[in-house]
Amino acid sequence: MKKFKFLLVSLLVLLVLAGCGQTSEAPKSEPAKETAAKDQSIKLGGSSTLAPVIAKCADDFTEQYKTWNKVDPQLPEEPIVIFVSTGGSGFGVKSALDGTVNIGLVSREMKEEEKAKMPNGKIIKLGSDALAIAVNPQNPVVQVKPNLTTDEVKRIFAGEIKTWQELDAKLPNRPTVLAIRDLGGGASQVFDELVMKKTPVAKEAIQLPSMGALAGKVAENADAIGYVSTGLIKQNEGKISALNIDDVTPTNENIASGQYKIARPLLLVTKEQPDQKQQLFIDYLLSEKGLKVVEEMGFVPTAK
Amino acid sequence: MMQERMGTICLLVAGCSTLLLISVLLFMVLESWPVWSAVSPLAFILGTDWNPLAEPLQLGIGTMILSTLWTALGALLLAVPLGLCCAIFLAEFAPQWMANILRPVLNLLTGIPSVVYGFLGATVLVKFFEINFAMASGESLFCASLVLTIMVLPYIISTSESALRAIPPEYRQVSLALGVSKPYLTLRVLLPLAKRGLLGAIILSFGRAAGETMAVLMLAGNTMVLPTSWFSKGEPLPALIALELGTSEVGSLHYQGLFAAGLVLLLFVLGMNLLLALFRRDRRSGVS
Repeated sequence: MKKFKFLLVSLLVLLVLAGCGQTSEAPKSEPAKETAAKDQSIKLGGSSTLAPVIAKCADDFTEQYKTWNKVDPQLPEEPIVIFVSTGGSGFGVKSALDGTVNIGLVSREMKEEEKAKMPNGKIIKLGSDALAIAVNPQNPVVQVKPNLTTDEVKRIFAGEIKTWQELDAKLPNRPTVLAIRDLGGGASQVFDELVMKKTPVAKEAIQLPSMGALAGKVAENADAIGYVSTGLIKQNEGKISALNIDDVTPTNENIASGQYKIARPLLLVTKEQPDQKQQLFIDYLLSEKGLKVVEEMGFVPTAK
Repeated sequence: MMQERMGTICLLVAGCSTLLLISVLLFMVLESWPVWSAVSPLAFILGTDWNPLAEPLQLGIGTMILSTLWTALGALLLAVPLGLCCAIFLAEFAPQWMANILRPVLNLLTGIPSVVYGFLGATVLVKFFEINFAMASGESLFCASLVLTIMVLPYIISTSESALRAIPPEYRQVSLALGVSKPYLTLRVLLPLAKRGLLGAIILSFGRAAGETMAVLMLAGNTMVLPTSWFSKGEPLPALIALELGTSEVGSLHYQGLFAAGLVLLLFVLGMNLLLALFRRDRRSGVS
């Protein structure tokens, strides 16, 4: 019995040691792989909103073709290697300019001075990330005042309009319950930029850990108002209602055409004309499969 | 020979786990280092504005610390009387068969994942408050405290019960010989004797309540307002970290600020546990 116990303990220790050994070895082997893959890999980086979409597409792409010659028979038989990194839209532009990445991922409009730095570059719009201002369908605001102006939305979220009655005299005298995403999230940044314009959101706003939870909050609280990804509005049809902003309904057409204002573009940016392999991957992203991933992740794909 | 080898192996394993604790602490300090030079520790802890993305950025976790205290102390306020009564009943009054049923049931409570508690609270308690108290939105620190109460009850009960049972039997025998009634024995003799152990139970459960994340995240409402009452909304420290760490940019001051908040929480709970250890040692050298 004692011997058995001893064996067990030593086995455990061995396992632990083996575990330690592996973690210390891992970084050693990685650089070797990286240098081998350097010349033939595609590197993308930037917006943390867009990166998951690209990473998913890159996975599907490598899974499907494995080597370049299967994508295009003219290309050599080399494994497809695509690196996707995050770091924000600013990082995306900067590293596309200095060559750290081949394709920058940007989830905002390109500034004029940024465009000027890449005269030969390409800017490809993959889709839009739009936020609908959503309320509970039982809220009478849906009938009484289905149109809000951007300024009204701003005042509601800044805490200047505290009750529904202050918004419109026909509405009940009940407090507005503001539902927002936590600070770091891409959605709250879009909202800050496009609607709040530096005015801080009221401290009373309830922060929810995910878009799903936010939609859930609006669906179950009759006084709640929140910004919800347009993808989720469709999934929760009947449970939450989107309001029109400045007389524009957040439909896919209006978002893709740019008429609906609370939206930002999802862009791929290159400094020079993309080479053949990069173009093939970009084509894949713009193909039906790529755009389907864009839609699955809750964004509005660009019109084909 | 055999025993000697066993000893070294155990020492190694124990050493490894101690090293783990130290490395976690070290990691937290290193990750949060830039924050302490950007804001003074005092301003960080007492500041009430948290907006790490604004210009200029504001890093103050006073609101969150206050929320943590509200929820944790509130939970204790409810759990301590309940738990103590339960422990006294189990240790002194309950017939053997009943204690044998109650004890495992209470211990099972510790096995329920906190997200389940949070989910139940979010669907039942939040709705209950909205309907019965005409609140616009049912989340509150009180709500979180209620669920925390249930979560820490088993800890209070089992620790205080064992403290009561640890009292040497001579005290009971002497009291019986003197013809003292059972309630008198319990309240006037046993409780004062087990005082330190009971205090330990309270401190342990306070640490638990302060560090709990999931249930609190789902129930406290997560607003940035300075909570002025038990019934206002707030955002306890663990909830803040859980909410924002995933979306913060690695290496930014926001990210480091969250680590700093984590460090504050860790030191807080660690300090509580050290206090507990101190009480434990005192008790051993005290009564028996």
